[in-house]
Amino acid sequence: MLSFLIAEIPRLFTIYNVILLLKAALTTLSLSAVGCVVGLFCGFLLSLARLSQRPIFWPLKALALLYVEILRRVPFLITLMIFFFGAQVLGFNASALVIAFISTSVISTAFVAEIVRAGLRAVKPSQMEAAAVMNFSAWHTFWHVRLPQAWPLILPPVFSYFVLFIKDTALASQAGVLELTQAGKILNTKGFSASLVYATVLILYFIISYPLARFGSYLERRLGASRHSRPRRAV
Amino acid sequence: MHYVLHYGQIAPYLPYLMGGMAISLALSILSFIGGMVLGLFFAVIRNEGHPVAGRLVRIYVAFFTNTPQLVQIYVIYFGLPDFGILFSPFAAVLIGMTLNAAAYLTEILRAGLSTVHAQELDAAETLGMNRLQTLRHVTLPHLFKVAMPALTNQYILMTLGTSMAAIFGVEELTGRAFNINSTTFRSIEIFTTVAALYVVVTFIATILLALVGRWAFRARVPVL
Repeated sequence: MLSFLIAEIPRLFTIYNVILLLKAALTTLSLSAVGCVVGLFCGFLLSLARLSQRPIFWPLKALALLYVEILRRVPFLITLMIFFFGAQVLGFNASALVIAFISTSVISTAFVAEIVRAGLRAVKPSQMEAAAVMNFSAWHTFWHVRLPQAWPLILPPVFSYFVLFIKDTALASQAGVLELTQAGKILNTKGFSASLVYATVLILYFIISYPLARFGSYLERRLGASRHSRPRRAV
Repeated sequence: MHYVLHYGQIAPYLPYLMGGMAISLALSILSFIGGMVLGLFFAVIRNEGHPVAGRLVRIYVAFFTNTPQLVQIYVIYFGLPDFGILFSPFAAVLIGMTLNAAAYLTEILRAGLSTVHAQELDAAETLGMNRLQTLRHVTLPHLFKVAMPALTNQYILMTLGTSMAAIFGVEELTGRAFNINSTTFRSIEIFTTVAALYVVVTFIATILLALVGRWAFRARVPVL
């Protein structure tokens, strides 16, 4: 069996197949990257809504809480299906890729919002009180006091969430998006051995994810967030 | 947009969905227990600092945490038959999830073990405890108290992860949702219902685990 697999290797790694795999890898990376960039932006707004103290923002606060708590407790596959069929119901004629981009953004918003909130809450209240004593406006306090101190606590976990999310995007293959796992499925249906194809896909995922994960832990050390003040990964 | 929601057509299938949920829960609980046993074993090996075994565990953890669970199960379910090893869908998913969970739990438990102070172990030794007693009365209570939030977190993520068993034909909650979808074509209704069921189940699990943690290990686990 093993000799058969080894004989298959040169047949599998033709230029056409390698390009297919590399393009698919790029899609995988961009799914996660777009999800996290959008997630960072929207998650920021959500966590601001959740941290606001004024009673006018109370409904917004409840909505943000509901969004985060619900979206974090629904499997990615189910969210993908809801968006997939929901787009058809609404007559929104989008490709599977666009739907995958939307659902990754929606999901990662919920997770990143939790990270941002934990980071903002980790800044000591005495800092904000000091700013209030110095007659800083609310905006000034946030921009010049709170955010610079929260930033090193937010960035490393968001980055490690981005790396974690690369692996979750494998589920987008179920909606027919041509990413790494789907490329493996295509090659498998073309007649290449499943063990060889999926082992290749596993190794490609590892090549993408491992250096990024190492860079994430370097970032964490570099930004000097101490272990105790680091926000917990979202539930 | 002329779509009318008909949740009424889903209602007769609720008992069927509940049965699927039981399979999902069985899958997540079994793989969590399996992962805990393996993870505790690996974490102790890494903490003891054995040169070869420690490095092997590191490679294992790096590999399984940097590749998607879905593709891992693909290799087990579709790849291993090339070598004459056949699993049922349930067994393949269970093995894949256990191996994957073991890697993440090793990291969590190792981080927990590293917070046990040397003084605590010295004190246990002074009191005349042997290694097993030290483990039972000093190390493990401390470990679980520190690691409980992360463990709860991991369990929730694993419950959500069981949904990928549907791809391999296991008839758990998501699998049964796909079945109902293909018989009734009420896609939005069925998938939102299932999403709500997942929310309820994981929320109950969070509260239960927080209570267990508080009662057994005096751990403070935030619920919201």
